[in-house]
Amino acid sequence: MGIFDSIKNLFNSNPKTEEPKKGICAPITGKLLSITEVPDPVFSQKMMGDGFAIEPTEGKVYSPVAGKVLNVFPTKHAVALESNDGHEILIHFGMDTVALKGEGFTAHVAEGDTVTPDTLLLSVDLDAVRPKVPSLVTPVVFTNLGEKVIDLKKTGPVTHGEVSILEIK
Amino acid sequence: MEKIFTITDETGLHARPATVLVNTASKYSAEITLTYRDKKVNLKSIMGVMSLGIQQGAEITISAEGADAEEAISALTETITTQGLGK
Repeated sequence: MGIFDSIKNLFNSNPKTEEPKKGICAPITGKLLSITEVPDPVFSQKMMGDGFAIEPTEGKVYSPVAGKVLNVFPTKHAVALESNDGHEILIHFGMDTVALKGEGFTAHVAEGDTVTPDTLLLSVDLDAVRPKVPSLVTPVVFTNLGEKVIDLKKTGPVTHGEVSILEIK
Repeated sequence: MEKIFTITDETGLHARPATVLVNTASKYSAEITLTYRDKKVNLKSIMGVMSLGIQQGAEITISAEGADAEEAISALTETITTQGLGK
C-alpha cells in the first residue's frame, strides 16, 4: 500500500472514529456492571431510571456524552448532565458519598459548562474515600428515558472513553 | 395550595430522598412544583429536584394545583415527615 493510500485511509477512517462520540461512552475506568448490581435499591431497582454502573479503578470521571452540565451537587459526589440528544444523565460516585460533604472530591466543571466525552468532570481521591463509604460502585442513571431501556453490550473491564458499551432501545 | 418545609435530612435532598419525593408526587395528577431560592422545578422530575442542590436547613415550598392537589400535599407531607427529610 502506497503512501497515498495510507493518507486516503486515514481520512476515510476519521468519520468512523468520530461517529461514536455522538453516543454514550464509558465515563470511568474500572469494571462495567449492570445497574441491578448496585448495592442500593434506589439504583438497582431503577427507581431513578435505567442505566449502568462502574466499579472504579481510577478516580477520574469523564463525561460520557457531548452536552452540558445541569448541576454539580454542592458535595461534588454527583454530576447531572444533559446530552445534546436530550438525555438527562446522573453520575453518582459511590454509595453514601453524599455524607462526605465533598471531602476527597474535586469538581472540574460547573453548571452550564459545555462538555464532550473527553471532559474531566470530577477527580476523586479513591484511597481517601474508599474506607469511609460502603461502596465505590458508581451508577450512571438516565432519568428521562420514559419507556426506553438501556441494553448493556458488555460487562467487565472498561476504559473511560470506550464506546459502544450500550444501546438505548 | 402550598406548604413550606425545612429540610432536616443531614445529606439534603439528594438521590434517595429526591427519588422518594418524586415517586410520591408522580402518583397524583395535580401539577406539583418545588421552589427553593426563587428557582421552581417540577416535583415529578428527579433531575429537576436534584439540580436545586438542596441541603440541610433549606426552606422549600411545595405547591400543587389540580383536582387531587390536597391529597398530593398531604401525601408529600407524610413522606417528608416519616422519611425524616424535613418538617
